[in-house]
Amino acid sequence: MNRRVFAMVTLVVTLSALFAGCAGQGAQTETIKIGLQAPLTGDYAAEGQWAKQSVEVAAELINARGGVLGKQIEIVVADDASNPKDSALAAQKLIAQGLQEVIASYGSSVTAPAADLYDANKVVSVGYGCTAVRLTMDKQRPYFFRTAGRDDTQSEFFVKFATEVLNAKRIAIMHDNQDYGKGVADDAMRFLQPYIDSGQVEVVYFDAITPGESDYSAVISQLKELKPDVWFFTAYYAEAALLLKQAREAGLTTIFVGNNSVPTPEFEKIAGVDAIKGSIHLNEPMPQFLDFPESHEFLNAYRAKYNELPGSIWAVYAADALNALAAAIEKAGSTDPDQVANAMRTMTDARGITGPLLFTERGDRKDIPYYAYIYNDQGVLELYSGQ
Amino acid sequence: MQVLLEQLVNGLTIGTFYALVAMGYSMVYGIMKLINFAHGDLFTLGSYLGYTLLVIGGGWVTTTFGVWGGVVVAVLGAMLGIGIAGLLLERVAYAPVYKAGRLPLVVSALGASIFISNGIMAVWGPRFQAYPATSIPSGSILLFGDFRITILKLVTILVAFALMALIYFIVEKTLFGAAVRAMALDRETATLMGIDFRKIILFVFFVGPALGALAGVFAGLNYTRIIFNLGWSYGLKAFTAVILGGIGNIPGAMLGGIMLGLMEALFEGLVSGAWKNVFVFIILIIILIVRPTGLIGEKIAEKV
Repeated sequence: MNRRVFAMVTLVVTLSALFAGCAGQGAQTETIKIGLQAPLTGDYAAEGQWAKQSVEVAAELINARGGVLGKQIEIVVADDASNPKDSALAAQKLIAQGLQEVIASYGSSVTAPAADLYDANKVVSVGYGCTAVRLTMDKQRPYFFRTAGRDDTQSEFFVKFATEVLNAKRIAIMHDNQDYGKGVADDAMRFLQPYIDSGQVEVVYFDAITPGESDYSAVISQLKELKPDVWFFTAYYAEAALLLKQAREAGLTTIFVGNNSVPTPEFEKIAGVDAIKGSIHLNEPMPQFLDFPESHEFLNAYRAKYNELPGSIWAVYAADALNALAAAIEKAGSTDPDQVANAMRTMTDARGITGPLLFTERGDRKDIPYYAYIYNDQGVLELYSGQ
Repeated sequence: MQVLLEQLVNGLTIGTFYALVAMGYSMVYGIMKLINFAHGDLFTLGSYLGYTLLVIGGGWVTTTFGVWGGVVVAVLGAMLGIGIAGLLLERVAYAPVYKAGRLPLVVSALGASIFISNGIMAVWGPRFQAYPATSIPSGSILLFGDFRITILKLVTILVAFALMALIYFIVEKTLFGAAVRAMALDRETATLMGIDFRKIILFVFFVGPALGALAGVFAGLNYTRIIFNLGWSYGLKAFTAVILGGIGNIPGAMLGGIMLGLMEALFEGLVSGAWKNVFVFIILIIILIVRPTGLIGEKIAEKV
């Protein structure tokens, strides 16, 4: 009898252990799969690697907190090789695996064909390294979002910064008559219009320089005559460096504000410390300057794993694309694309590494953080903090 | 009034560089009737040579000879090096095709231009290089009102004018210069008169590129950044200056360069930067319609 009881107890224990084991395994196999399309090869291979590492670190953090809807997150990676053709293939690969949410991708022209495919197949896609205005404004893609800002974000930021922080009355805007630079300058002008109409601001100079030349002294003399408070330059670092160097040599002390293509090592080298110190540059947040609670958690985890910080902000935006999707799935209570897309548009309390994760009706990020940086007396870039 | 004066000085500086590069073009054209497309690239090569002289051994030249001494070494070194490169260019790219006529010569010049520019890219890399700040003379003086000019710029203008005067003197006032001019007028007759064609060619292909190298080093010192295709924009402007002044004519090249610089500065500074090149080329077209041989170009009689 004892034996029989023992055998039965053993059987029950074994069975329940077996079942428990099954149950445990069942919970683990049922994960939420989220796709990541990134340029792991090709021109932007470095960006792709950083994005992959960042998303994986973000996934580990979410999973350590218990996952989403009680399930663990699993990342499925596809390589788009930094070009539009492979981008479509990568998208088809992820769609064929039945994924309902993906993070895609880096580069506006690479992202566009993938976004079309995801949209046609009702897959929610979140871009992280694509800033062209047309992606969201040319046509409505109901399933497309992005965590990165738009090209005109910095123009809007400049106007706010110049009028509210620098209190500029006389503004000079200089571009290079090329696509990008002129776009930023025109947008700045558009955002400045209300201030011009109310007489608060006067744009004393709005013109282009010829890129590729060496001597810009004629323009510098002109600026000296016009005496602007703020000089916004919206083109590339090579001309910015020469202009700034020649301006300071000529004794023009106007506050120089550069756009996000200006502060580079080349800029520092060509212009030299004496010229760049005190110049202000508008930029996407740089990873090392992110200062939200979530930023520190993420950056510490990333540093612990890879012994460095992500090489660019775009990788961090990729991680935030995952955070946004996780928050939306949690809010929707399911991974159904329609419900998730709806949740993305309506969520109000999602917070990511780069600040609040809020989206407009067209899928653009709302209140995207943008920062002003200033070169200190040693020629090192630091966060701008008041006068 | 002060603005106008400022812009005149700015234009003079820009024009000096154009004139220096333009003289090299014009000398070669005068003798060879060849547009030396590689000239802009020799200018760039000179700039890189000066840069290399200033950075090797952690700025050894500057620490040994002082800042101005370093500049002198860099300028003379680059002029010598590019002078020799000019002679080599003539031997390798032009001499073998003299007899083939003018078109193959032009094609060869274009090839040489691409070769030199890509060679620079292969050796020094495709990115911007910057002349080291420690090797660049600093300091500026108040010229008038609140208009400052760097001492370096002033020296650049003075050196350029001195050199242009020297070349002008050699070509227009000496016996050797008379030989050069005779060669430019009519090669065959000059040779029959006993002028050594080889000697004139050596002179032209040494001095022209050396002047370009001087301009290259001073451009690097003044504007810091250099890049492998720097010569393209200078070459284009210098070529325009040559046409403006009258091709094959050395005083014409100087005048053309300085006029071009002045027009650019005045238009950019007083009207609009975006339309600067449009304006400059409209003026060029008008001048060519009125005076097809350029401002002080002489009318060349048709050979029968």
